[in-house]
Amino acid sequence: MTIAERVKAVRARARVRRWEYRQRNLAHGAWARFRAALAHARDAYAIDDVTAAALIAEGFIVDDRGRGLEPPRTILWITAEQAGRLTGARPIALRLDAELLAARCLALVPFV
Amino acid sequence: MMASPTVAQAPYARYTDVVMFRDRLLATLRAVEPILEVPGVLVAGSEVPNLLEANAAATLVVSQDVDLAIPVAVHETVKARLDRITRLVPSSDEPSVWVPRPEDPELIEVNFIGLDPAIVEPMDTYEKEDQRLPLMVFGPLSLLTAGSVVEIDGLRIPLPQPAGLALEKLVSDRTGEKGDRDLLVVAGLLTAMTPADFDQLERVYLGLPVELRHQVRSNLSILSLLDARPGMPDPRPHRLVVDALLRRLESR
Repeated sequence: MTIAERVKAVRARARVRRWEYRQRNLAHGAWARFRAALAHARDAYAIDDVTAAALIAEGFIVDDRGRGLEPPRTILWITAEQAGRLTGARPIALRLDAELLAARCLALVPFV
Repeated sequence: MMASPTVAQAPYARYTDVVMFRDRLLATLRAVEPILEVPGVLVAGSEVPNLLEANAAATLVVSQDVDLAIPVAVHETVKARLDRITRLVPSSDEPSVWVPRPEDPELIEVNFIGLDPAIVEPMDTYEKEDQRLPLMVFGPLSLLTAGSVVEIDGLRIPLPQPAGLALEKLVSDRTGEKGDRDLLVVAGLLTAMTPADFDQLERVYLGLPVELRHQVRSNLSILSLLDARPGMPDPRPHRLVVDALLRRLESR
């Protein structure tokens, strides 16, 4: 690849980045928002709808950064103490793999 | 029961590979020493974390080349010294890449890339045409500033400050395996950075255009969710550092 071709490729990627930046608050930005939420989680648990509803009723905070995906994901921030009391919750690794993406409801424990 | 020979030999094979690559990297840098002596020239790219390891141990798995960042202001000075490089020659395909002569197969390729402090956006990247040494002047490379000089057996290797190098990698669009590896290099840098380095990273970040700041945060979130790869820094134990940095940048 010549320098001219490399320059053209870099500029093309920069144009895509600008387009993605403009989409950051729209539907296309959903993945970036979802990732940003996960990046602040120390631990993650896959929970069922009933558990999610119970946690919401208890007053745990819902994070709407999972709402932009289809189907929407319910993200809840809980404490480490609460995580220890969850029954039926399945700990999952914090990486964008099939297991995490299959979870419709996520309970996240923040680092701080 | 004795371990199988295959299993027993694997660590030694890896050790030998690492030692050999370190020798090749240092031999290559010695071959371009006249260029490294030009004020402002820096070794850049993914080899920097290898060189920042204790005694330049070079244990990370990266490609077999090394980048030299050439400020456009010293382009002519560098060109005047090219005749002193005898063990590498310009590639016939791309004259900004110098390849080992056939009799020096132990060396690795050297990429000359341009640094222009007047630009930072990838969109502003340009080609500096030249018969002898053309350069791709990559906008984000201007985030690099001179840092420590590593000295090994009398060879002085000028390196960029880790904050600038981390930011340069975080603002660059990267895709696929190469992109993930570049982010893992950032993981290695973050763990070695001092509080002063983080302060510097934040200061430079605040001076970036909003789109690039968004790119930095986006790449940090990707880094936070990457898995480990053999021969690269494991990002998982350092998620706390990424979280803290991300919070710091998001609050500005």
